[in-house]
Amino acid sequence: MGARKLNGGAIMNLNRRDLFKIAGTGAVLGAVHVPSTACAVKSANSMLPPAKGNRVVIIGGGWAGMTAAKHLKKELGDGVDVVLIEKRKIFMSCPISNVWLGGLVDMEFLMHDFHTPAAKYGYTFINATVTDIDRDKRKVYTTEGYVDYDYLILAPGIRYNYDAWFKGDKKMAQLCATNFPSAFIPGSEHLALKRKVHNFEEGTFVMTVPPPPHRCPPAPYERAAMIAHVFKQNEVKGKLILLDPKDTIKPKGPGFRRAYEELYLGIVEYVPKAKVKEVDPVNKVIRTTAGDFKFDDANINPPHQAGDLAWKAGLVNPKTGWCDVNPLTLQSKLDPRVFVAGDASSVKGFPKSGDMAHNHTQNMVVKALVALLKGKDPLEAVKAPTNTCYSMVNGDPKEAIVINVLYDIDRKKKAPVKKKVNVINDRSSQLARSTFEWAKALYRDMFG
Amino acid sequence: MDRRGFIKTCTAVAAASLASPSFFISSLRAQEVEFKAYKKAILLKKDGTPLKPEEIDPEKQYLFFYPHRATPCILANLGKEIPPAEVKLSDGTTYRWPGGVGPKKSIVAYCAICPHQLSYPTPEFSFINYYPENIPSKIVKRGGVIQCCAHLSVFDPAKGGEVIDGPAPFPLTAIILKQEGDKLYAVGTLGKELYEDFFDVFKPDLRKLYKSSRKAKKLVDKCEVVEVEEYAKEVIRC
Repeated sequence: MGARKLNGGAIMNLNRRDLFKIAGTGAVLGAVHVPSTACAVKSANSMLPPAKGNRVVIIGGGWAGMTAAKHLKKELGDGVDVVLIEKRKIFMSCPISNVWLGGLVDMEFLMHDFHTPAAKYGYTFINATVTDIDRDKRKVYTTEGYVDYDYLILAPGIRYNYDAWFKGDKKMAQLCATNFPSAFIPGSEHLALKRKVHNFEEGTFVMTVPPPPHRCPPAPYERAAMIAHVFKQNEVKGKLILLDPKDTIKPKGPGFRRAYEELYLGIVEYVPKAKVKEVDPVNKVIRTTAGDFKFDDANINPPHQAGDLAWKAGLVNPKTGWCDVNPLTLQSKLDPRVFVAGDASSVKGFPKSGDMAHNHTQNMVVKALVALLKGKDPLEAVKAPTNTCYSMVNGDPKEAIVINVLYDIDRKKKAPVKKKVNVINDRSSQLARSTFEWAKALYRDMFG
Repeated sequence: MDRRGFIKTCTAVAAASLASPSFFISSLRAQEVEFKAYKKAILLKKDGTPLKPEEIDPEKQYLFFYPHRATPCILANLGKEIPPAEVKLSDGTTYRWPGGVGPKKSIVAYCAICPHQLSYPTPEFSFINYYPENIPSKIVKRGGVIQCCAHLSVFDPAKGGEVIDGPAPFPLTAIILKQEGDKLYAVGTLGKELYEDFFDVFKPDLRKLYKSSRKAKKLVDKCEVVEVEEYAKEVIRC
């Protein structure tokens, strides 16, 4: 194989064997920062005829991307050409996956198809992997060809930053990711984790909480409760140690603490101020600022960053690992034609969660973009979002707790501000019912 | 809107409508909030006799189906005179809601489909409910509200269904009631309707309950009023 021009313009000589090596690493471990254009052919074929009006391309069919596609079409109908590009063959929801891990819903509850909403709302669904984003020419390259855009909604989600721990030791990072998958990105990792949890018979199971900001702040605590529920049901002779870099459980701390004390006494051991210093996946030891912990099995959660495609687009602030955006419209500060929706963007006071992604995309990204396309002021068009987040803390009977944050738009500061926080830390079966309805309603909105 | 603002809007609408003729029509439609008359339907008790206004207990919540066979409504006696109200939409437009009916002008009815994500009372669960004064909401810590426990949208039944809290983008659809003698009738709706979306997304559920979409959509001329607690196995409050 000869020289190939890469994204950044560098020339790299790769033989076939090297290419396979890189492709293999990239496939197994998204965290190792391999320039994936090295394995992709930049196709010269346009996948779609030119749009009659404005074309909005959405990269990523997660909670933000699915919401954007539906609501743009709902607001503008034939007035906009919407194209959604997603690499997965099927949608799997990360929200509610802990409840599934606890055995309280089946997999079908989490799975949805991309085709029905695309047909119903009238957008184009392209099932392909994005290989490059050329913001100067406004082209998105995929494994199937390229698509031109007028505006881009980038919703790539997160990637794991194993490098923060393994400092370039790719072999150890890979071992950690393979043997102790994080399962904060839906797919195979979740199935692997479920097998681990349900097969665990005795000993110490360790789980680390990623350092903030990470996807879904209450998720690790809910996951701990669901794992503990399984251990309790299976009469496991052992415990779950939850290593948290923070000083205390946040959010819904009292609700989680009470669940651990009242439902899982002796099963869950919560360790605060436990910042991970070193992970040894071979000898099964995690060294932290709160001591060293040997484990028999584990769910090891590395720090999170903006998803790969945000890096590829050159829109990530390397100091934070997230995309800097206008806090009202979520337009990239580096390129106003690109809106960064969902977890990859960084807005003060917004947690990275499915509900927040859905809400800020519908009320801010879509409203701003619709205003832009109509020649109006996008800042005036955005609406205040809300964020509602249930956490299942008991499996038998099913009981949950909830937090609900209401925001206001501060027009002077040109930023969202928290208006009110409602929390119910008293777990109840009513809130467990609501948890399922919360999810079903959002799936209805995104998938029709 | 001043003249300049008006011209600006017209220009924007004209430009957009050049790109897509359907845009112009849909944006006009979105502005329309008005009374929509349906079949006049009498409210009846389970025994088939007319429901008298004084039989509506202020400490309970009731359910009936109107204007379609499958579209649920909440009926409540707020216990005090409810005057007419201007209902504000997020785009700044308003419409006038006529207030309560009955001898004390305290009885109101709203479509029980949440304007956020369409949660509605089923024979299994009721997520959207009226909270009488004796059952305060844990979210806003008071009674006299209608609240949906799916995403915690809270509405004011004394103000035409306006949104008090939460993600709902617009108010509850009001059901317009009329009193004739000591009989109560539902005569139509006021506000943004959600029936089209409702029949679309719940098609499988409604087919199970009513056998077919056609039967679920049938317009009614009488409504049996029941307590929500009698209809749904579990009333979800939060």
